[in-house]
Amino acid sequence: MSEPVLSVEGLSVDYTVGAGTYHALKDVSFEAQPGRVVGIVGETGCGKSTLAHAIPRLLPEPPAKILRGKVIFQGVDLLKVPKWRIPMVRGTNIGMIFQEPINSLNPAYRIFDQVAESVRIRRLRESGKVAVFRPGGAGFDYSRPRPPDRSTAIAHPFVPSIPPGPDPIRVDPTDGGKGRSVRSEVLDYLRLVRINDPETVLRLFPHELSGGMRQRIMIAMALSERPSLLIADEPTSALDVTIQAQVLTLMKELMDELRTSILFISHDLGVIAETADDVGVMYAGHLVEFGPVVDVFEAPRHPYTKALLRSIPTRYKTDGPLPSLTGNVPNLSRLPSGCTFSPRCALAQDDCRVDPGPALAGWVARPPGRTNSAACFHTEGVEGLP
Amino acid sequence: MGRNLTDLGLFVGKRLLQLIPVLIGAITITFVLTHLNISDPCSYWVPKAKRAQLDACISTFGTNQPLTTQFLHYLQTLATGNWGIDPLDHQPVWPQIMLALPQTLELVFAALFLMIVIGIPLGVIAANSNGRLADHLVRVFYLSGWAAPTYLFALLLAVVVAPAVGLPYSGAFTTLNPPFPQYTHVSVLDAALSGSPAYLWDAFAHLILPAVSLAFINMGIATRMTRASMLEVLPLDFVKTARMKGLSEFWVLYKHALRNSLITTVTVLGVTAGGLLSSTVVIEEVFNWPGIGRYSYQAITGYNFPGTIAVVVVFAVGVVVANLVADILYGVLDPRVEWR
Repeated sequence: MSEPVLSVEGLSVDYTVGAGTYHALKDVSFEAQPGRVVGIVGETGCGKSTLAHAIPRLLPEPPAKILRGKVIFQGVDLLKVPKWRIPMVRGTNIGMIFQEPINSLNPAYRIFDQVAESVRIRRLRESGKVAVFRPGGAGFDYSRPRPPDRSTAIAHPFVPSIPPGPDPIRVDPTDGGKGRSVRSEVLDYLRLVRINDPETVLRLFPHELSGGMRQRIMIAMALSERPSLLIADEPTSALDVTIQAQVLTLMKELMDELRTSILFISHDLGVIAETADDVGVMYAGHLVEFGPVVDVFEAPRHPYTKALLRSIPTRYKTDGPLPSLTGNVPNLSRLPSGCTFSPRCALAQDDCRVDPGPALAGWVARPPGRTNSAACFHTEGVEGLP
Repeated sequence: MGRNLTDLGLFVGKRLLQLIPVLIGAITITFVLTHLNISDPCSYWVPKAKRAQLDACISTFGTNQPLTTQFLHYLQTLATGNWGIDPLDHQPVWPQIMLALPQTLELVFAALFLMIVIGIPLGVIAANSNGRLADHLVRVFYLSGWAAPTYLFALLLAVVVAPAVGLPYSGAFTTLNPPFPQYTHVSVLDAALSGSPAYLWDAFAHLILPAVSLAFINMGIATRMTRASMLEVLPLDFVKTARMKGLSEFWVLYKHALRNSLITTVTVLGVTAGGLLSSTVVIEEVFNWPGIGRYSYQAITGYNFPGTIAVVVVFAVGVVVANLVADILYGVLDPRVEWR
């Protein structure tokens, strides 16, 4: 494989709130390959958002504290970059879309001003008049191979399918910015995210738009800086179901078209299955399983992944109540010794309760023919679980 | 939508109509309070040596009439646009006030300017370093202005600082000879109109110390409100969005966060600006500034009833207009607000 766009190594983050210390992330390691969509999935409070915010150094410190680890982006450890240089990484190198479109646009400025600001930042950096994080490192890379057609990649019975979008992409955003007005470029990006009548939308304020429209504007803003990595932190979770499907379809189409690397955070397994190439499963601050989405979903190798997949409601399953895990997610300030999942795990043995497990010691070697790795001593037993 | 110029006009019109009951109330209350307090004002107005004029005074001003009769008589003259005459020097009150008001407005706007360009950034700095050293230093700074008696800082500036740095500490006008012509009675404006840099600098030099002391005692409100609303705005998602665009911390704070925090600050500054007019009383007395504050002090201590009422009316109009301007700005700053 080629050099990863992003490689997170042993990242640990604590929150200090009052007298308590909460281990939000513990030794999280994974890689994002260029042009691929990496999904991170897990329950509420498992550390997904902390991970998404830790990469572009958005975590408020305090209360958060990055204990150790590396966030290597395009060969540079972002945790070692001085604070004043971090803004150079953001926008043109790493873009981000947030969960709540209601709050993520500035209520005081018109849509045009907000999108144009992003376009101007990118143009300024491309012009070479200001210092940039890594010259030539930014932008969509069309030399990369086109990812496989995702519509046939997954045929999992648990996963609801999303119908394809109605109209094709009309604008290629990479046809140079030089000599064009900012306004025409802003209009292009609004058309790219399928906004009808962009001329009118330009003049509106965020409160005059619906949630779905605002999220499209957010996507347009992030894309207009042509980042080499886009972090989407639950971009569809705050939207209602029909709008969710529309935004998701849009994102899928843009992913295929622009071939930018994406870190897609979601609690929704169906969304991850539809969009991601690789998937990481998180539990109580740990990344418990990581691998290509097909392998992880078809043949999970961690008991938590298996339990998570089993609890998806589906129309095919009508016999009896939906299975759920016994017990509760551990309190992040008092994690159990050994493997954090051991108190709820059917496969747990004595070694699981003492040894922090492979999560801390690195990934368990993948058996031949398998591509997903799991932080578990007893991966061979997972298949036999109900 | 409620956000076009017609709506703004209607809004301003409605608010100015509300001024009428406010003024009637202010006039009535001030009239009653001044006249009830002193039953025989002529004994103050007429010097002791001229007892013979006492009867003339009583008949001229009608001070032996019932209070209601006096009040109706006052309203009758007021309806003709006559604000009465000063019983001491027998000069009409209104021209004197119109002469003093521009001087005070100059002082108030200079102080407001300082409060905005110094107080608001201090609030941003305090919010950004919430709980750390800079936050505490800013708090010490604005609390010392807020907590000290009004005259203390003004006296310190006039007695200690002014001679030390060579600034004039008395009066609104130039000490240069001949003085610049007075067109507007706003000394900086007049000096600028005279076209001479020496005059302009001199007018500024006279303005600096009174404006600084008036700003310093009132700055706390701007800093504190900015800090509080910035702390509310900073955790919001659009601040993260601004950061993730790649904007530097300066633009994130001052273009995105502060713009939304200003809504609260402007409202409070409007209330304060109305109050600034009346808090000039002590400052103007200390710096011998010929403004309306000093006039009101002299009117009250000299039992100049028409002058006192007129000053109260000017202050009331000032408070209402300042609040109106704040409400208009509120709509300008926040596109979700409608003028109604």
